[in-house]
Amino acid sequence: MREKLATLARTLFRRRRARTDGGEATANPSGGFLSDQFVSSLPYWLPAFLIMGLAVYGAIFWNFLLSLTDFQQFGNPDYGHLDLGMYAKAFGDQVFLGALQNTFALLVSFTLCCLVVGLLIAILVDQKIRYENTFRTIYLLPMALSFVVTAQFWLWMYNKQNGVVNIILGAFGLGPYEWIGNPALVLGAVVFALIWQFSGYAMVVYLAGLRAIPTEQFEAARVDGATTLRMYWRVIIPQLKGATISASVVLMVFALKAFDFLYSLSGSYYPPKVGHPRDDDGPAGVQRRPPRVRGGDRHHAVRARARHHRTLSRLPIPGR
Amino acid sequence: MATLELDSITKHFDDDGKTIVAVDDASIDIDDGEFLVLVGPSGCGKSTTLRMIAGLETITNGELRIGDRRVNEAKPRDRDIAMVFQSYALYPHMTVRENMSFGLEESTDLSNDEIAERVESATDTMGINDLLDRKPSELSGGQQQRVALGRAIVREPEVFLMDEPLSNLDAKLRAQMRTELQRLQEDLDTTTVYVTHDQTEAMTMGDRIAILNDGVLQQVATPLEAYHTPANQFVAGFIGEPSMNFFDVDLEGETVVGGGLDYPVSGDVRATLTTDSLVLGIRPQDIELVDAVESGRDVAVTVDVVEPMGDESNVYLSLPDTREGETFIANVDGRTPVEAGDDVVARIPEEAVHFFDRQTGEALRNREFEGDADVDLSL
Repeated sequence: MREKLATLARTLFRRRRARTDGGEATANPSGGFLSDQFVSSLPYWLPAFLIMGLAVYGAIFWNFLLSLTDFQQFGNPDYGHLDLGMYAKAFGDQVFLGALQNTFALLVSFTLCCLVVGLLIAILVDQKIRYENTFRTIYLLPMALSFVVTAQFWLWMYNKQNGVVNIILGAFGLGPYEWIGNPALVLGAVVFALIWQFSGYAMVVYLAGLRAIPTEQFEAARVDGATTLRMYWRVIIPQLKGATISASVVLMVFALKAFDFLYSLSGSYYPPKVGHPRDDDGPAGVQRRPPRVRGGDRHHAVRARARHHRTLSRLPIPGR
Repeated sequence: MATLELDSITKHFDDDGKTIVAVDDASIDIDDGEFLVLVGPSGCGKSTTLRMIAGLETITNGELRIGDRRVNEAKPRDRDIAMVFQSYALYPHMTVRENMSFGLEESTDLSNDEIAERVESATDTMGINDLLDRKPSELSGGQQQRVALGRAIVREPEVFLMDEPLSNLDAKLRAQMRTELQRLQEDLDTTTVYVTHDQTEAMTMGDRIAILNDGVLQQVATPLEAYHTPANQFVAGFIGEPSMNFFDVDLEGETVVGGGLDYPVSGDVRATLTTDSLVLGIRPQDIELVDAVESGRDVAVTVDVVEPMGDESNVYLSLPDTREGETFIANVDGRTPVEAGDDVVARIPEEAVHFFDRQTGEALRNREFEGDADVDLSL
């Protein structure tokens, strides 16, 4: 009996020891999922991973989930019956469809024109001209400006009475046109302004693409008898496929983000007037939200912002 | 087919206000159907010369004539030339067929059928029929090379211009393409200007070679003339592999002394030497290794290094009383039993010796050569 107990104890002991060994082995596996490195690196990436995962992708998913409910304003959404009712409503709404159509038209025309203009400027700048860097900066500069600022520029330039666009057209006996107010013209005017702002970007991408093409390609085409136009058309531009794709992707993203620009331009954007309870040059309340594209009040966004900047500049700066 | 005349062609580049002379007053007359090789070290202006002929560089001074037509101001497309680039410059987005048709479509009024016919016949010549629908990226280096040549010959131009077309190929393929290119040029009988830095290509391919250095034309001659009767020390050193051995010597009475040599010179030869300050040149192939010193033209030397090449060996020899590492080369039969450290005797035969003016580099006396094309190069 005693012997039996001793044997059992030995067996257990051995087994336990064996198990312990095994435990140690799992702590140092030869390449399992929960490797030492993985565990010890957790504190470094897990918080960021969780925040990113929940706040961005989790929110996207939640948003999608909400879109399937009939949830409105605040309160507790009812996740009981999910359906595509909201989507059906959106696609049945003329305003939404109109916006969709305009966005699509803007996306296509803006991207295409920007690419063409950018390519032409890039080819011109690539002719080993003097002050090349200066030109490059000049063409790229508009892109560095805020949409709100460029919108104001164009607002002034498109002004019916005093805008420089109408003045120039007037010299040829045309116009004046109400560029922003006329629904038939506004999309074109907006696209033109956006092209001015972003064709510099397309130029930079194309210029890099042109520089990457070996000089021999140009020379071979010239020796082969191609005129400059034919050389670019048949030999050089086809080789800019990569540049075209990368430029279009970025330009399309900008086209979709042009919302700020449109909002500033159409004058229906009013930042909250915190600290400015009285606005001396505008009507109050509901009337301050005129229908889109109405003449009078469209300077508000910029004025409000300018006021904001003035306020900032009047703040006492320590040490002054 | 046409003659090509370079009449005092000069090219200046402007570099931050300084003028750099790339090609200085080069005059070459190239016959109809001739294969002229422009050869020289990197930066000697050979590519610039070719590019001026192509119309890719402007000509600062001088006149360029194709046929009898002045083409200085003509655009490349109006010169009736075809060029093969070192990098081939095939259009990467076009198939082989499109690459080859491109030149004809752009420069001629041929119908599509005629173009297709000419492309077919050019691909037959180059043996690349089965590659017609492939893109350049799908071809090997050798195949790209053939397409590049095919793209030139399909044009049937007056003049072919080739800018180091074989330098991107491996050694074996290069030797093969060299022969093929020569045969092709003979068949087509088109005037060709070929630029290379490789003196083997220059020697083996050209009807004549033009040697350039520092933008200055050194000599235009047949390969054998340039080899045996170089115009100056540069040509003598540039043409021939391994290079000619040079010794800085001074004429003292009946011998020349210097660089460890004390070499007797016969009266006939002395008569040709117009200065005392000389360079003695001897080709490695002309030096013999003998058993014993029999005359003043045999010198006792020590073998420094032996480079066996099979049929022949390059033996690096050092003279007594010279600094370590200062050697000259003898090219001897590969079966000669020599090893590093051996003491041997080098025989420098007087009829093979060249003398150059040490100041100007000009050849004062060259080895005897009758200009006979059948002369055995290996001697």
